[in-house]
Amino acid sequence: MIESVFDILHYEVVKYSMGDENSSQQTNNTNLSTLEYIGFSTGYRLTERLTREWPRFRFKDDLETMKFICTDFWTSIYGKQIDNLRTNHKGVYVLQDNAFRFLVNISNNSQYLEEAPKFVAYTCGLVRGSLSNLGINSTVTAEVQNMPSCKFHIQVNSSNA
Amino acid sequence: MTIHNLYIFDKFGTLLYYAEWNRIKQSGITREEEAKLMYGMLFSIKSFVNRISPTDPKEGFLFYKTNKYALHYLETASGLRFVLNTDTSAVSVKEFLQQYYAKVWVEYVVKNPLWVPGTPVTSDLFKQKSDQYIRQSSLFASKSA
Repeated sequence: MIESVFDILHYEVVKYSMGDENSSQQTNNTNLSTLEYIGFSTGYRLTERLTREWPRFRFKDDLETMKFICTDFWTSIYGKQIDNLRTNHKGVYVLQDNAFRFLVNISNNSQYLEEAPKFVAYTCGLVRGSLSNLGINSTVTAEVQNMPSCKFHIQVNSSNA
Repeated sequence: MTIHNLYIFDKFGTLLYYAEWNRIKQSGITREEEAKLMYGMLFSIKSFVNRISPTDPKEGFLFYKTNKYALHYLETASGLRFVLNTDTSAVSVKEFLQQYYAKVWVEYVVKNPLWVPGTPVTSDLFKQKSDQYIRQSSLFASKSA
C-alpha cells in the first residue's frame, strides 16, 4: 500500500509539473528539468538518511558508490535491485532496470513510448542527487527503448577528483 | 465451460471496456447501443432486487441464468460494474471477478497514469493481461472439457 502511495503521488507530481498543456510558455524540456530537480533534492536527502550509520571508507571509489546506488539505494526506493550495471571505466556507467516500477503498469511494448521520458526524469534526478551528496558530480540521462525496461546513463564529470 | 464476454462499466454507466471470446450470437446493434441496453437492464434488475427482497439484501444482485448462459455481476464500492457472461456450469465466478478486479484492473488501469478515469481503456498492456487472465482461468477451459 505504501508503494502505491509513492507511485500515485509520483504520477501526480509528473502531471503537475507538466503543467497546463495550453500554456505554451514553458517547453517540455524545462518542465522535465523541474521534475529532475525535485528528484535531485529527494536523492540528496535520502542518501543522507540511508548512509547515516556508515563510515566514509565504505566508498573506496566511484564504482563502489555506483554499487551502492544499484543495491541499497534502489532497493529502498523501488524494492528491487538494478538488474545490470556496466561501465567503460572512464566515468560512464549504465544502470539497467528491466522492470522499472514507474513503467511496469503502463506498457510492455512501444505503446506510450513517447510519454516515457516524463516518468523517468524524477529518477534521473534521484540518482544525480544521491551521487552529488557522495561527492560525485554527474550527468544522468535515461533511455527507454522497450518498456518497461529502462537504462540510466551516468556520466561522471571529470572536474571532481 | 466457457466464458463468452466481459463488460466493464463505471458508476455513470460508461462502457470502459468490452472483450469477447466465445460469443456465437451477436446482438445486431452497435456496441454503444448494446452497452446502454445492458447497463439499463442491470440498473433495473438491481433496483428490482433491492425493492422486492423480503430480507435485507446484503449483496444485492449477483447473477442470473437462462438455460443457455449465465450472467455474473460484480459491483465494487466505487461503483465499477463487472459483467461476465459464462455458460451455465461455471462456479465461483464472483471470486474470479474479485480477483480480476484486484489483479488486472487495479494493476494495469488504476495504476497506469495515462488512463484518465471515466474514459474507455486503451492500454494494450491491460488488454493483453486481461485476455491472458481470462484465458488462463479454469472457467475458460474449452467447451469440450
